[in-house]
Amino acid sequence: MRHLVTEGRCNLHANVSTDTARLVGDVGRHVPALSLTFRPRPVDELRAWGGARLVRGKRILDLGCGDGRFALGLAPFAKRVDGLDPDVEAIAAAKKNAREAGARNARFAVGAAQRLPYPDGAFDVVILSWTL
Amino acid sequence: MVDALGEVHRVLAPGGILVDARPDSRVLAYAERQKARGFQLFGVVNTSRAELVNDRASDRAIARVVREGLFKRRRRGRLWYRIHFAGLAALRQYLWEHLRFVRRAKWIVDPATRRRYSNEQFILRRAVRYELLEARPTK
Repeated sequence: MRHLVTEGRCNLHANVSTDTARLVGDVGRHVPALSLTFRPRPVDELRAWGGARLVRGKRILDLGCGDGRFALGLAPFAKRVDGLDPDVEAIAAAKKNAREAGARNARFAVGAAQRLPYPDGAFDVVILSWTL
Repeated sequence: MVDALGEVHRVLAPGGILVDARPDSRVLAYAERQKARGFQLFGVVNTSRAELVNDRASDRAIARVVREGLFKRRRRGRLWYRIHFAGLAALRQYLWEHLRFVRRAKWIVDPATRRRYSNEQFILRRAVRYELLEARPTK
């Protein structure tokens, strides 16, 4: 019965039942999933980190991207955003969310952080948001 | 974890930034009733023991890669945010199912007060801490 609303990107952050999701208020925000309900909005986190200048025009890697919530929040500012997560279903959801959001500079792949499928020096910013 | 951070260093351009953001287990989370103006504190919520252990392991991994010269600490901070609940029952259910927290809040208001306001809007105020680290060139 415990499935669907994955709050985090790894097992640190428990799944929450659909009952809880239904009962929780403040679900009116857009993309991509109910995870937004339980996490700060990407724009708020980005502001705390120093604002859009941190990612503007940069190549970003979101490690443990889950359903792409955060990566897609950064996509409008970044040159390119890559998302990587070991969860196949989460990556499928991220790709779907990217299509729906029209984010052409966002790419998602299944993989593990211990062996990143990218060349040396490929990114300007790597984000471990609720991942480590 | 250290292996993963080593990989992160490899794929980062020199001077690139690693952002480590995660729930802040060093501070409590607060269960509050939403009033017309402001909030009334109803209880506090601790992080579960297992998650405290995980967080410390993450801290140690970061400290190690900094010590090894892969990264340099640039800036850190804490962000507070609110999760909204339609009532006290929803908040309790969330805590019960959420492995990060201990399952029950430590209430600071009496049961009668909790019952009286149980159908009102509640929030869980919790913190996320973040740290920006700069990738140093490999020697």
